Amino acid sequence: MNYMPGTASLIEDIDKKHLVLLRDGRTLIGFLRSIDQFANLVLHQTVERIHVGKKYGDIPRGIFIVRGENVVLLGEIDLEKESDTPLQQVSIEEILEEQRVEQQAKQEADKLKLQALKERGLSIPRADTLDEY
Amino acid sequence: MFRFQSLEEDCPLEEEREALHGLVDEDDDIDQFNDDTFGSGAIDGDWREEHDRLAELDEKVGGTPPLQAPPPAAPAPSSLPHLYSRGLGERGPLSELDSLLLGGDENLAHSLSKLVLSTETDYGELEDPAIMRAGLQQHKRAPLQPRPQLNSGSIWDDAMGLGGMSIPKPLLSQVQDSPLMSIIKEVGLPKRPSMGRDERRDLSERAPPPRSTSPVIGSPPVTAVPIGTPPKHPTGHNPNQQILCPTPVHVRASMQQRFPGAFNDRMSPNQPLNLANSPLRGHAFPPGVGPVLSQLQRAQMIGAGQPAHLSPSHFSLNPALLQGRMGAMMSPAVGGGGFRPFFSPSPVRPGHNARAPQQYGATRGDTTHLHPQHRRLLTQRMQQQSGRGQNGAGGDRPQRLGGSQDRRRDPYSNLMTPREKEWVSRVQMMQLQSTDPYLDDYYYQNYFQKLEKRPSPTDGDAHKREHTKLITPQVAKLEHAYRPVQFAGSLGKLTVSSVNNPRKMIDTVVMTTRSDDEEKKEKQVWNKRRQILYTVEKTYSLLLDVQDFERKYLQTPEEERGALLEERRSKLGEMFENLRGKQTDANSHRFSDDHFLQIMRVRKGKHLVSRILPFLCMEHAVAVVMATARNLPYIAKKDAHDEVLPWLIEPFSIVIQHLTSGPLTDLLQDLTGLPGGPSELNSSTGNQQQAQSHTSTGQLGKVLLSKFGLTLLYLILSQGERLLSGDSNAEFTENNRWTDLVFGVTLELLKTPTASLAQPAFTPPALLSFFSRYVDRQKLNLLQDKLQLSPKPR
Repeated sequence: MNYMPGTASLIEDIDKKHLVLLRDGRTLIGFLRSIDQFANLVLHQTVERIHVGKKYGDIPRGIFIVRGENVVLLGEIDLEKESDTPLQQVSIEEILEEQRVEQQAKQEADKLKLQALKERGLSIPRADTLDEY
Repeated sequence: MFRFQSLEEDCPLEEEREALHGLVDEDDDIDQFNDDTFGSGAIDGDWREEHDRLAELDEKVGGTPPLQAPPPAAPAPSSLPHLYSRGLGERGPLSELDSLLLGGDENLAHSLSKLVLSTETDYGELEDPAIMRAGLQQHKRAPLQPRPQLNSGSIWDDAMGLGGMSIPKPLLSQVQDSPLMSIIKEVGLPKRPSMGRDERRDLSERAPPPRSTSPVIGSPPVTAVPIGTPPKHPTGHNPNQQILCPTPVHVRASMQQRFPGAFNDRMSPNQPLNLANSPLRGHAFPPGVGPVLSQLQRAQMIGAGQPAHLSPSHFSLNPALLQGRMGAMMSPAVGGGGFRPFFSPSPVRPGHNARAPQQYGATRGDTTHLHPQHRRLLTQRMQQQSGRGQNGAGGDRPQRLGGSQDRRRDPYSNLMTPREKEWVSRVQMMQLQSTDPYLDDYYYQNYFQKLEKRPSPTDGDAHKREHTKLITPQVAKLEHAYRPVQFAGSLGKLTVSSVNNPRKMIDTVVMTTRSDDEEKKEKQVWNKRRQILYTVEKTYSLLLDVQDFERKYLQTPEEERGALLEERRSKLGEMFENLRGKQTDANSHRFSDDHFLQIMRVRKGKHLVSRILPFLCMEHAVAVVMATARNLPYIAKKDAHDEVLPWLIEPFSIVIQHLTSGPLTDLLQDLTGLPGGPSELNSSTGNQQQAQSHTSTGQLGKVLLSKFGLTLLYLILSQGERLLSGDSNAEFTENNRWTDLVFGVTLELLKTPTASLAQPAFTPPALLSFFSRYVDRQKLNLLQDKLQLSPKPR
């Protein structure tokens, strides 16, 4: 049955493998099992994929229920093309380490930037005082 | 719960029972609790008798005496493994499995056992006691035996609770080709140490019975394992299956670890069911009932209706089933057993219609209210039908794509039933309800219109292919008159404001303290501007109506079209009136350009004119162009900031190209402001222009300085050229006015220094030849240089 042609309805996507990007930046990959009118998702056999540079690591997470408002975007993964990627998969520990290193580097850079701006009399409003978007 | 486990009155688990149930000692109370939990139909029949019978049979088989000695007291969860270990320890080797399969398919047995063996891996992480417990429960039954008691022991008899190794021969052949088999191959059949009597005894020892699928009307479908529990399959041997999360394997492996003696190597998709339904009476099953895949699906089956109760809505679901149901793990034997997974991912083709009747039969609505026996009979009937169909269709199964192959073997698919999908889409459609789709969903409607108008790329399918369009529900527009809140017996009306009914809350009066003259003038100026803007807006809305006219025209029936045309005409007239402004002098019937000029001062007004011009009738359009030409310097000056005039070039050029010689001459005169005798339209202003032309920066001069003006001039001249070249009779050439005007133009052109001459938007190619008619060689060359007129090609 052709559910809602011409619309972006998720019904046709059920039971297919999807990549979901969340608002907090996480990337989840799982089989979309169920939806509702708010686009809340039930993901099955979910894996959280962390990308750092050209490497990525998968953390198996099980079943995820995602509140619809936290989804930035999602898209179906073509199972045949899935392995067709220039990215290199590494172990979880390694990717977490890489991520930590990257975070650290970013923090350092931010600190320097903040310092430079302060010297010039400017300031960047801190993230926690801002609304997310 | 544990009560039912006990073989004798002295329940071996009494300690646990008491511990669990606390102060409950009374059998009656427990019964009450059971009834509350499982429904009053939970126990149907005398399970004690059944149990005794089982026990006897078990004795006959020999070997293990019935469980007389209670196992050592242990906390509840771990008591079960003990029971199992005792019971299962005596299970025979693999060969029993073969025998169990009735010698039907030894290859199958071997492959299954191989599969199961190979799925063992060592994870040992997950130790969820609930899962452990669930994993322990096995049930064995003897599906071979005929079902003598269809009436009694309903929960044990439940069709869903089938599991175990026994796949009776007829069923086996049925399931041979089904995806069920593939699942079983993947996942392995449960260990079947001994068939028949042994099992029955073991069953009675097992963990609590499944929650009954109570026949009581209204009670929810009950599942032994909660609905959310995924089937616990060993997942090692499914290369195609995308298992991202190894958790299921964890479960299985750890269970194996903890209870090595308890199980044989094989687990089955039926395991959860087996385990959950262990105390089921083995013999009381319908013939031909086979293993069940998962508790989850079983639950779904329970929820699914029965053919006898099919309503039209079920039939309507069938297309979905036919198309979308892939890898439906419905057991052929169980519950909605007749439901055959639909192999082809493509939409229903004619070839598949043969299946349709079976599919219809396979759909089941809610069967909880049926008597379990009734349900069972229907199940059997369905499965027989489908079995037949299955065998027939097995050979010519259509080709599958790789993706659908995965889906077919995906045991978790179709967790979301079509009903739920329907529900979601219904909710979504409700949100799309609209009284006027053009108002609420303009872009979609427009897009779809364009899509339909667009010629389809392939010629052949032009007519066949239909673009599927979403038909949104159209709700009649209801006028909700505001009725103020009224209380009975009160005088007057209360003013309660809401979103739909905003009401004034505070009485405020605007006090203008400043009343200087300057302020007044300023205000007047502002008011005037506002007035102009307001007129522009009004005209815009008229324009939009006219633009939508085409669509409306197509929608209204024949009779009303005349009225629409009239409406359109009147709207156009109104637009022009708006542009033109009021009459200056009631008597003279003359219109001053002022109003128009005011509009042209505003950026939006200029855009408006450019958009309106194509719609106006010729007369009106010419009037507009003339007015613009007449006042070009003023307009051009005011446009210096906005630079919107280039937008007008195109509509103007279209108008000019339709001009005949007379109006064209008038236009040129208006533009240039040169005297050429009285023009038809501005006799009154002719004198003014005469005076103007003598000044060096006369109108024409200014025109030449402005890009728009120069372009307009060129347009006029090129039109003249066109007319001249095309005009066979010499009417035009005799027109003195025209000639004079042209002379004036050329003079002016030569006079103005090249530097200050504006850059026209484009240079019509015919100008050179045009000028050649009127000026001598020398001047022509000069002109050519100045205006960078390319020599006429060819």
